[in-house]
Amino acid sequence: MLARLVGATVLACAAMAAPAAAQNVNGTVDITGSVGERCEFTVDNALIPLGELSIAGSGLTAGQLDTAAVNGEFATLTGWCNGTSATMTVEAFPIENVDFVAAPPTGFDRVVNYTATAVASTGSANDGSAAGGAGTPSTVGVFSSNITVTLSASSTPNSGKLIAGDYEGSVDVTLSPAI
Amino acid sequence: MRCAAAIFAGLALFVAPLAAAQTADGDANVTGNVANHCVLGAPTPAAVNLGQISTTSGPRAGRLASIANQTVNLPNSFCNFGGTRVSVSSSAMVADDTSPVQAGFARAVNFTSTVTTWGSPNASATTAALADGASPSANGDGGVQATPNLSTLSLVLSSFAAPGDGFLVAGPYEGTVTITLGPE
Repeated sequence: MLARLVGATVLACAAMAAPAAAQNVNGTVDITGSVGERCEFTVDNALIPLGELSIAGSGLTAGQLDTAAVNGEFATLTGWCNGTSATMTVEAFPIENVDFVAAPPTGFDRVVNYTATAVASTGSANDGSAAGGAGTPSTVGVFSSNITVTLSASSTPNSGKLIAGDYEGSVDVTLSPAI
Repeated sequence: MRCAAAIFAGLALFVAPLAAAQTADGDANVTGNVANHCVLGAPTPAAVNLGQISTTSGPRAGRLASIANQTVNLPNSFCNFGGTRVSVSSSAMVADDTSPVQAGFARAVNFTSTVTTWGSPNASATTAALADGASPSANGDGGVQATPNLSTLSLVLSSFAAPGDGFLVAGPYEGTVTITLGPE
């Protein structure tokens, strides 16, 4: 008899608890991700062929640098950056005679200096080759465009006549995402 | 096990931005060339006029007068490469009168042409025309200039002499000197 009474009590409790088990509960899954700041060149190399660098003829300036052969010449790179603080830096290296590497005799030069300016859709940067090192970084932010590299203000150290031979130089353009 | 996986995932998220922050470099290469080039400056004076070249009185009347050295400068002459030389080619002064020359007369005046301030030795040529004006030409090469050079070339005309010291035939006389600057 006592056992039957206890069993009835348990059933009653079970009947009382049933409404609490029907409540909704929520769980949340948070999703996160990130995009690192990047800069890339999709075209990272180009050539500026200047041809003959000296003035022809027999006048007083014959043999000296023909600035028209250098100034305004350009090449096009292509690149992009995805960060608002991205910068572009230019470093111009002199155009030097690769066949005659000794010190030039009096009245001659074997180096052509110039200014290189790189222009992207959101900004530009430049550097002169006469001074070592890169130019001042310029903020370009988020962009994706051609980067046109143009030469200007060409000169030789002594305004001398250029020594015969092949000449080579380069312009390095660096895109830097903010870290 | 789940805890370990969560830690790895966290590291991956942390490292990814650092690797992506590398700079990107592009290059515009620049090439050019300068061809071999030699230029002779404009001669100053452009012509040498000796005027009256025969003695007009005294024991040497009718014979070649003493003629001082004549200098012609060619400033701003240069070659922009090494291994060059100056050559000189001269032709004796010969009278325009082509009639036969009588004994004791001459219709030519010889001289020496020397070009200085290029390679060593200097380029030099001495004409040896005959009295009748035959064989007036002479040539000479200077030494090699090993490096590019810019200088004022100096042509000196000297040692004027008539063949056999004969009496000079009357009339205009003309001679030429040609200087060549170029590869050896």
